[in-house]
Amino acid sequence: MRIRAVVSATLASVGILVAGWQSGTHVTTTSSAVGTAAGTNGTGSTGTGGGTAGSSGSTGSSASGSTGTSGSTGSTGSTGSTGAAATAGGTFAGSVVQTRFGPVQVQISVGSGKISEVTALQLTNEDRRSVQISNYAAPVLRSEVLQAQSANVQTVSGATVTSSAYLTSLQSALDAAHL
Amino acid sequence: MQPTSELDRPELKARTFHCMGTVVSLTVPARTEDWTPAADAALAAATGVVEQLFRELDDRFSLYRHGSEASRLARGELSLREASQDFRNRYAEAAEWRLLTEGAFTPERPDGVPDLSGLVKGFAIKEAGAALQSLGLGDWCLNAGGDVLVAGSPIMGSRASWQAGIVDPQDRKTLIAAYPLGGGTGPGALATSGSAERGDHIWTSGAGISEFHQVSVAAADIVIADVLATAIVAGGIPMLNRATSGWDVEVLAIRNDGGILATAGFRG
Repeated sequence: MRIRAVVSATLASVGILVAGWQSGTHVTTTSSAVGTAAGTNGTGSTGTGGGTAGSSGSTGSSASGSTGTSGSTGSTGSTGSTGAAATAGGTFAGSVVQTRFGPVQVQISVGSGKISEVTALQLTNEDRRSVQISNYAAPVLRSEVLQAQSANVQTVSGATVTSSAYLTSLQSALDAAHL
Repeated sequence: MQPTSELDRPELKARTFHCMGTVVSLTVPARTEDWTPAADAALAAATGVVEQLFRELDDRFSLYRHGSEASRLARGELSLREASQDFRNRYAEAAEWRLLTEGAFTPERPDGVPDLSGLVKGFAIKEAGAALQSLGLGDWCLNAGGDVLVAGSPIMGSRASWQAGIVDPQDRKTLIAAYPLGGGTGPGALATSGSAERGDHIWTSGAGISEFHQVSVAAADIVIADVLATAIVAGGIPMLNRATSGWDVEVLAIRNDGGILATAGFRG
């Protein structure tokens, strides 16, 4: 628990620093780079395809805010512009966040005002649990799964076949070929 | 885990036997020039060891064998306390799986009769795999009615993986996906369960129809793969999510409408 408290405290202070740093750079960003459609800003997050020029920069920081350590810092100011860019759609990469498992970075795709996809750009392999953040079964098209032709496999997996059904199964053809 | 290419198509030898209501195949790499009568005899001997192991488990656990321990328990001639240590061990293992899967996998039929057939085939494959290793075989593929455990490679001395095909439940003459097994790295086990098996050995905790037509699970351990495939068919999406977050597995699940859900390992 003590470690946890220390970590929280550290994260909070980092958050404050980031907030200050962000608001500082933010001024520079807005004043110097009106045309940053790519949305590069102080947090290191990049947004591609964001429609609205100046505001998409701060949208990026909002996305980074939601990834973790920086928490709500920096995002409050840019909430308004999030809506604008979200309507336009695009892909936004959050900043790299240090977690207790290692660095993590997330990218979101926005379309029609909704998050359509969340992709992990960086996930640590240090802990099995953190690897599994990305291990969920997603809906895919048939063409998106590893393809197999019966000529190129050495064994066949399927729901249990009875002894009689085996005779007409693909596995029995393979076994017969290898007698 | 490099795929086997067209250039070096593996040359294999296989032996089969009938047990547990299905067919078990043992396949090993066998280059024609190296295939001696001694190698053939070694494969026959290994198959014999595997067959004996399967038969012993089948004799004890099959509910369709009138004289099996499982049947005597089902008829009330024997209580669980009087059952053999082997039976109680498997029952305890199955009961633990019921807890781990929050009831999606259960060692009992709806009428309360202990039914360990959902666990015993996977257990038999695992024991057979250990026996093959102890016989000194490094490269083999064991397929028991569609549940697969491999070691090594289909090409002796290479790191090529065994390519497993997964049957399309809509058309069992075609494959819906492939999965590389073994080859030095990666999980060596792949098990598939189907909702068509309901009434055979998949008992759902609820009375509803399964939302999955077929579920395949790849893991390092065949019992984990087999039990989780069964549990996901019975427990639907919530169990699928528990499986992918709680175990180091890859899952390919086919919905009743033909839609596919897949973890990263199954995506091309």
